Amino acid sequence: MNFGKRAILYISRKREKTAGLFLLVLVVSIFLISGFEVMEAAGHLSGDIRTSLGAAFYIRASVSVSTAGNGEMQVQSNDTYITQAVIDRIMGLGGIEFCNPINYGFAKSEDIQFIPGDKHNADNNMGRVTALGYSALAPAFSDETVTLLKGDPITPSDSGKILISDQLAEANHLSVGDTVTLTHAKLVERDGGYADEIPVKTAFAEVAVSGIYRIHTEDTAVSPTAGQACNEIYASLDVLETLKESEAGVYTGEVDFYITDPADLEPITRNVQLISDIDWTTHFIRTNDFRFSKIEEQLSSLADLMKILLVCVSVVSAVILTLILSMRMHGRVPEVGMLLSAGISKGQVLGQFLLEVLLVAAAALLLSHIAVSGVTRVIAENVFREMQPHLLNEQVLSGDTDGAGFVSYLHLGAALTAALYAAQILVIVLTILASSVTVMRIKPKEILSKMS
Amino acid sequence: MSILEMKGVSYTYDHKRNVLKNVSITFETGKMYTILGPSGCGKTTLLSLLGGLDSPASGQILYQGEDIAKTGLAQHRRGHVAFVFQNYNLIDYLTPMENVALTSKLPPLPILEQLGLTPEEARRNVLKLSGGQQQRVAIARALASDARVVLADEPTGNLDEDTAAEIAAILKESAHKSGKCVIIVTHSNELAKEADIVFQLKKGELQMISLR
Repeated sequence: MNFGKRAILYISRKREKTAGLFLLVLVVSIFLISGFEVMEAAGHLSGDIRTSLGAAFYIRASVSVSTAGNGEMQVQSNDTYITQAVIDRIMGLGGIEFCNPINYGFAKSEDIQFIPGDKHNADNNMGRVTALGYSALAPAFSDETVTLLKGDPITPSDSGKILISDQLAEANHLSVGDTVTLTHAKLVERDGGYADEIPVKTAFAEVAVSGIYRIHTEDTAVSPTAGQACNEIYASLDVLETLKESEAGVYTGEVDFYITDPADLEPITRNVQLISDIDWTTHFIRTNDFRFSKIEEQLSSLADLMKILLVCVSVVSAVILTLILSMRMHGRVPEVGMLLSAGISKGQVLGQFLLEVLLVAAAALLLSHIAVSGVTRVIAENVFREMQPHLLNEQVLSGDTDGAGFVSYLHLGAALTAALYAAQILVIVLTILASSVTVMRIKPKEILSKMS
Repeated sequence: MSILEMKGVSYTYDHKRNVLKNVSITFETGKMYTILGPSGCGKTTLLSLLGGLDSPASGQILYQGEDIAKTGLAQHRRGHVAFVFQNYNLIDYLTPMENVALTSKLPPLPILEQLGLTPEEARRNVLKLSGGQQQRVAIARALASDARVVLADEPTGNLDEDTAAEIAAILKESAHKSGKCVIIVTHSNELAKEADIVFQLKKGELQMISLR
């Protein structure tokens, strides 16, 4: 009778022992693969959290300080002057996900009665216009002091679109889809009050209300009508161009750049500062990775903790597997004695023991592969869904939050999965070989003496 | 015809206690031998040496004139000798037929039937057989193999008197009819009475006490 037949007969007749080994390998495998999946997922989640926090740098105009003839210090802010060509060059450095140029201006409209501010009158009945590429990236929206109630945010492909506050919409009976005509304006201080420096209107822009936002903070500052937060109009970039307040492809407000990985912030800004097309005597870069720096240590600790846990899981699994397989082998010492005394060679005995375990392990690993997908689905649904960060992408910036979808994170690559199964098989084979060496080194006579 | 021979074999436990002292003995086919002796006198050691389960401290064991240490102990166990033990030593997850098939390519059922097992018993789990039936399976396994020497260690030690007598008769018959050399170590005088030649192992020395 060859060892293959003996192995199959052992598996089929020693059902309790076979079931025990099967369950052991199954549980260890599920434990191990799930552990690795969770660690990998935690790594991806950590990366996505980092990405969702992101970081930004802003190119802004510096202020110049001069001394007037009367000896008084005068502070004057410069306009930023960044062209599309410079932006393209910065974007070409890599690692930058989005660019959000911003132009500022003022606008009036016969269709809109702005919420009155300090020293309000018909002449200063205007609102500030922030024309930008992505409204969702404007600081007020990204820090959620302002949220979009209705409609869609502004994106670079929009033209003739504005967002207004719910207070302004209510006061003027405006809703999403309504159109209004804006005209240019410029706020100046005059005779102790506020006035419009452009009395003759030559530029007009017909715009549609694309969305209505709500402000979640109270504006207690005493400011003119145009300085009231509720009068702020977020507009697509073309609106100020039409009102002749800005030039196409030239940005005088500020230009914000958003990068996905906060860790790249420093090298990217270092490279940006090497660009000579920007006048760095009148411009400066401000970096913002505040949110990331707050949790950087925790993310790093979480990653370390996961690694330690997984090392523990792997070691404990290997030790348990080794111990139980060794005990199983030592429990079969009498059988080894019988087989050797019956003239069966050591190689055949070892081959039988190896084949038995490998057949059972193969079935257990196969089932574990199916079981792991069930286990990870439960973990994904119950743990990772709750933890999924809001990633910044085109869909989200376009207001399609549903389309962002659920990322389960729990997907091990085929190579890693195969490596884990191979590692388990290797541990099993090595354990059997190591235990067998110990058992086979015992003289058959000693085995048989102990048995009698 | 001489088949197995011990020449000047000595064996010590832990280099202190001499259990075999310069033992020389020749065994022939077609005969049943018993080696008597009290427990712990070295009977099982002697049998182990003959069966290639252990090596002597000095001396030679020859099978058909060749030193088994040179031809290989595993080879000796595989091809020349077959064991029958007091506790049967059957593989418990195999049926009697499968236990016999471990060492033989012959159909196992005829020999099992010859030794008194029914076909149904021959297909039953060995642990569900009585002690006598299990010992019959062990003997069938030994006889079905190509081995010309059967080494039996207290083969009737766990059996009642009637069954022991039956087993003794089977072993004797296998020596006389099948031409095997059957060597039994035992402390049973009843079993010794059935043997052709009886030796006694005393203080490490082997003495012939009966020749029939």
